[in-house]
Amino acid sequence: MLHIKCPHCGMRSQNEFSYGGDATVKRPELNKEVIDQEWDNFVYNRVSPRGKHLELWQHLSGCRQWIKVERDTATHEIFNTYKANEEIA
Amino acid sequence: MSSLSALVNVHEKGQFGDFEGKDDKNLLSITESTNLLIVQIVQYKSSSLSLDNMQIDGLNLRDNPSLVSSNDSTRILWNGPRNWLLVSNKHDLLKEIEQKFNENEFAVTDISHSKAIIEIEGKEAKEILKKGCPFNFGELEKNQCLNSTYNGMSVTIDMLNDDPDKFRIFGLRSFGESLYHSITDASLEFGYIAK
Repeated sequence: MLHIKCPHCGMRSQNEFSYGGDATVKRPELNKEVIDQEWDNFVYNRVSPRGKHLELWQHLSGCRQWIKVERDTATHEIFNTYKANEEIA
Repeated sequence: MSSLSALVNVHEKGQFGDFEGKDDKNLLSITESTNLLIVQIVQYKSSSLSLDNMQIDGLNLRDNPSLVSSNDSTRILWNGPRNWLLVSNKHDLLKEIEQKFNENEFAVTDISHSKAIIEIEGKEAKEILKKGCPFNFGELEKNQCLNSTYNGMSVTIDMLNDDPDKFRIFGLRSFGESLYHSITDASLEFGYIAK
């Protein structure tokens, strides 16, 4: 069982959250010509890293907000959590 | 038109569980709250309106996590960023809310009939909640609220009092009977009065 610190509500159980996938994927820019490979990368292709990874989670049974979680995929250690619109250096 | 409460088919009055030999005054009590006005108020992301001068029944909407603003008749629960749940026994507040909160800035939804509400009171009330909810109730204080799950069902829990502990648990009406059974099953160990 993980405990995730929601940036809005505080420390909560993983039970209240729903996993939302890779948070590093960027949508191709609007009004720009996009090649098939770029769409494939945006829609389908994902890396499966071992170690630190930035993920999207939704606090579904809490404040219902999407958040970003920096988690180690091997140890499950959570380093940081951010609001969905927060830019991460 | 008459309305049926969410728990009318399951909420049976009486004493249950391990109540024998215990003083009625100290026994855990479980009641169903009915006839409350429940309004969800959401401020749109595009809205930049200040909430400082916006009051409902003399209470401000405050964007502080877990905070409940309250007076004798009304409680405003923080439900998420720019999202509140107003619970009141004054039904005429709905008109006031609709007038004050214009539809370009806020979504106001009357959800009075979509919730099942259980109130539990007694010194073991936190123990009952701990049995099904992963939240750390050791840190919850009077006039704080939270959204979480109870045996997998999404609930909103409002702490009304701390002497003795008193909680109001809101669940979706369709889950009301399951939620009621979960709460009463957890209470059998201590004995309880259903009022």
